[in-house]
Amino acid sequence: MNKLRLLYLLPIILFATILLATDFSKYDHTDNSTTVTKEVAANTDDFDKMMQALTHPRCLNCHPSDNKPKQGIDQHPHYFGVARGKADHGFEATKCNTCHQKENNEFSGVPGAPHWGLAPSSMNWEGLSKNEIASSMMDRKQNGGKSPNEILKHLTEDPLVLWAWDPGVDVAGNPRETPPISKEEYIAAVKSWFAGGAVIPK
Amino acid sequence: MPSIVFLNCKKKYISTIQRFNKRSASTSKKMNKNKKSSRRKFLVRGGLGTLGVLAIGTYVFRNPIRRKTLSISESLIPPYNGSGTEANLWFEITQENQVVLHSSKVEMGQGTFTGLAQMVADELDVAIEQIKVVGAASATGIVDGLSTGGSLSIASLWVPLREMAATMREMVKGEAAKKMGVSVASLSTKDGVVSGGGKTMTYAEVATDVTDWDVPSTPDLRPVNTYKYVGKPVPRVDLAAKVFGDPIFGMDAEMPDMLHAAVIRPEHVGATFKSADTSKAAGMSGVVKIVETPDWVGVIAKTFSQALSAKRAIKVDWDIPKKWTESEIKDMLQVGKGDRMITQKVGDELDPEEEGVVAMEFSSPIGAHAQIEPNGAVAHVVDGKATIMLSTQVVGITQKQVATALGLKKKNVNIIPTFLGGGFGRRLNTSHAVTAAKLSQAVGKPVKYFFTRKEEFQNDTFRPPTHHIMRGKLNANGLLDSLEHHYASGDVAINSALMPGVVNTILGTDIGAMRGANIMYGKIKNHRSVQWHTTLPFATSWWRSLGLLANTFAIESFIDEMALKAGKNPVDFRLAMLGTAGNQARIRKVIEVAAAKSGYTDEVVDGKAMGFAASIDTGSPCAQVVEVSMVDKEIKVHKVTCAFDCGVAVNPDQVRSQCEGSINMGISGALHEKMTLKDGQLYPTIYGPYQMALMRNTPKEIDIHLIQGADVPLPVGEPPLGPIGAAIGNAVRRLTGKRVVDLPMRIV
Amino acid sequence: MKLSFNINGQPQSVEIEDPNTPLLWVVRDIMNLKGTKFGCGKAACGACTLHVDGEAVRACSYPAKFAEGKKVVTIEGLGTRENPHPVQQAWIEHVVPQCGYCQPGFMMATAALLAENPNPTDEDIDNNIVNVCRCATYTRMRKAIHRAAELGQE
Repeated sequence: MNKLRLLYLLPIILFATILLATDFSKYDHTDNSTTVTKEVAANTDDFDKMMQALTHPRCLNCHPSDNKPKQGIDQHPHYFGVARGKADHGFEATKCNTCHQKENNEFSGVPGAPHWGLAPSSMNWEGLSKNEIASSMMDRKQNGGKSPNEILKHLTEDPLVLWAWDPGVDVAGNPRETPPISKEEYIAAVKSWFAGGAVIPK
Repeated sequence: MPSIVFLNCKKKYISTIQRFNKRSASTSKKMNKNKKSSRRKFLVRGGLGTLGVLAIGTYVFRNPIRRKTLSISESLIPPYNGSGTEANLWFEITQENQVVLHSSKVEMGQGTFTGLAQMVADELDVAIEQIKVVGAASATGIVDGLSTGGSLSIASLWVPLREMAATMREMVKGEAAKKMGVSVASLSTKDGVVSGGGKTMTYAEVATDVTDWDVPSTPDLRPVNTYKYVGKPVPRVDLAAKVFGDPIFGMDAEMPDMLHAAVIRPEHVGATFKSADTSKAAGMSGVVKIVETPDWVGVIAKTFSQALSAKRAIKVDWDIPKKWTESEIKDMLQVGKGDRMITQKVGDELDPEEEGVVAMEFSSPIGAHAQIEPNGAVAHVVDGKATIMLSTQVVGITQKQVATALGLKKKNVNIIPTFLGGGFGRRLNTSHAVTAAKLSQAVGKPVKYFFTRKEEFQNDTFRPPTHHIMRGKLNANGLLDSLEHHYASGDVAINSALMPGVVNTILGTDIGAMRGANIMYGKIKNHRSVQWHTTLPFATSWWRSLGLLANTFAIESFIDEMALKAGKNPVDFRLAMLGTAGNQARIRKVIEVAAAKSGYTDEVVDGKAMGFAASIDTGSPCAQVVEVSMVDKEIKVHKVTCAFDCGVAVNPDQVRSQCEGSINMGISGALHEKMTLKDGQLYPTIYGPYQMALMRNTPKEIDIHLIQGADVPLPVGEPPLGPIGAAIGNAVRRLTGKRVVDLPMRIV
Repeated sequence: MKLSFNINGQPQSVEIEDPNTPLLWVVRDIMNLKGTKFGCGKAACGACTLHVDGEAVRACSYPAKFAEGKKVVTIEGLGTRENPHPVQQAWIEHVVPQCGYCQPGFMMATAALLAENPNPTDEDIDNNIVNVCRCATYTRMRKAIHRAAELGQE
């Protein structure tokens, strides 16, 4: 099984390595006229893979549309009335970091990762379609003025994003569910999608 | 019969639970006068071991037996549930002139230690600051034989404790007279000092070296209105300890060289232990010993974290005969199923098919105790002796259970009760003390063992779910001619260690499930209450106020619906069905006061509606008015007005505190809490998913009006939990037109 | 690992085997400060709330290693009988505790709130004070929090 998986990953890793060296400035989403049809077809697959992760509760729970973080695969509102607060990190004294630290806690089952908190309210994804999420993600007005390169970095390197594949155990000590595709597959898909011009399928 | 007397086959008195007494409160006054000639038997000890210079104890149980047999139906005072053969109430004076009261009742937040100190101070003539109240340990043989519970602590010790304090005061005066060479009559006492003839001596000085004490006849007790402390809002005696974080709880207990243990408990209802693979855990860091018994497996380690880590590495094979489902439990627990017992019967039975009969169904869910301090114990078993420190409401029963389980002599088992991080009935069951003792026995060292939160939730002795059918019929005047309450409940008192099987057999009724189940409106011509009892596949037991919250929710919601049907104001409707004598008058009074102080109205004003409900529990009537609004289908309680008659309020501030706590806990129970079965397990297993009222869910204002409708203290800690659920439901009815019939309330 | 931090104003070094041991157990079982309570072990009830560098933290879910070099304050260090913190003073004035077990956590959470927001509204209190009290002393606590805010400004 492991061998098969490695074989499968090999071309992706190779592809990703090439992509890493790519300068993304020429792929600015707003200047995307050079995209060719062939690539769009290929990138739809990447886009869908990426979105399998981004629309998973592990990601969406911290991109709420009502300022209330969600919890669990059932995406229930965070217990105890926890909310965004003024700076996306909870209220003045009861903050995200009152309970969530830099890493998962095996003793308590409380999840943790660096800068645990909500995505800014301009990045409210909850209830949006895949295309709407992607549009908001790539829109500098909504994404905090981030360039595609910075978004790529966030999606593939931010430990809080990648926490989705290392979500630790829940309060009962059972492993939390991860997104339906592997982290490697996800990263490769994201990179490939960006390399292909970050085209959002119509 | 207003009172229920339990007799065992030897016709020996066991216990009395005081029910709603229809007679006038003034009868108790008569009774107090009658027993004036009684002379208590006291134990007097001087300078024994660790005891102070004078220690006296008394048998408070014997006189109540005699009193009760004489005037069983007349007394409003619930009896003291103590041992009948050992002294069970005592205190001592130390060399530092401090009075140490060894309380047979534990302190679990209800304020009993403070009330007892007030009572002692006023009769012994010491300042309250001179009194230290400690939970009596069983090593002295002086503990409550049954429990701290039922809201009975202050009420039951009201007479015996003050009599003992007064006797001790007279004993000290008698000896002082001898030592000072003056007459007893010339002596006065204040702040622990005897003065007279120009001389003064502290109580401790008087008691020093006295070996032969004269015990006088029990002195007359002073009139309540002359007391300096009783009746005043004295700050809690444990206030500083609790504000500055002193280590006073069972969880804080330590013994030298103590180890920590974790035990694997079953997750599934009805699961039993088969075997365990402990190979990985045995070699883990800090692990001292793996302990396997026929019933469980546990690990003892140097630190708690190590024990917890090792526990996670143990794989247990459970025998799970069946995975119980929510619907199976619901199906078992229905009016019409289980053991039927009529618990109240006045006039004729309603024919459900008769024209004009209105029927409604109500239900309440499984409730968890969810007290914040987990159950646990520190035990040291060595050389045939056991010492166990823990939070328990049943010191005597814990002692007996440990002795039996370990094959020790009872006198060799010392149970030391600590302050309780919440009781609410959960600590009437302390099987974990036996577990801790066995763990300690296995290593010969002190071991601390306690439940994880998940284990708390899954091994609770739950408040049983209930099902109710109310039936009633209005007459031509728009008042109820008939009212019936049929209720199904799981065990509360039945199968409890507190209730010997023989009692249940004779009684046939679960007196816990019955709390608040009977109809209190005396003028309804035909009224009855019928219990259907079923033992569920998981443990259910006492939860603060027992059946009161659910029963009152059903009865008072239905009364409200009948008032609406009759087109009557719910306050007038209730008053019209109450008599004017005895407890009927007392119920009437709380209803009138709550209505007047709240300015009760049927109208919805500024999006807020009011709801009214009343109840009487263990002789203490309570009426409550809530102000409720709704935002996004969420019920918000803004204000509660509460009129409560508990007779003499020994500490009015703490009575208020208990009212506030009962109201907020009742809001939590009525609006938020619910345990369910999922895959054969009880869920949830943590706060949050087990929703409870938090700061934001509780009213900013609770306006309490205390009424003294009896000349003795009556139960306080549970009765105010009665009306709140129904009052909220009644307000929601006015706000939305919808009648909520299931707890916790969900507005769809 | 050797863990060095400041607790209640005193520098302390302790040896802990597992750096991930919750700070709660270091405080309770090694430093023998029992005022910080164990309630749920899942950061849900708040009974274990203490301050790390002035911020409220639930110690049952806080790996001890993160306390390295930091200032930890527990209820024992918040104030004393001789010199109570305004929150403790207010708690005494309003006779808040019943069983008392959860109260240190509430007082620590309140002290952290007042440090950030010296005059909280009822809504601020509702949002920030989300610990669980089974005796349900919430009504008195709210009054005491407002009183503590007053005392803090005197």
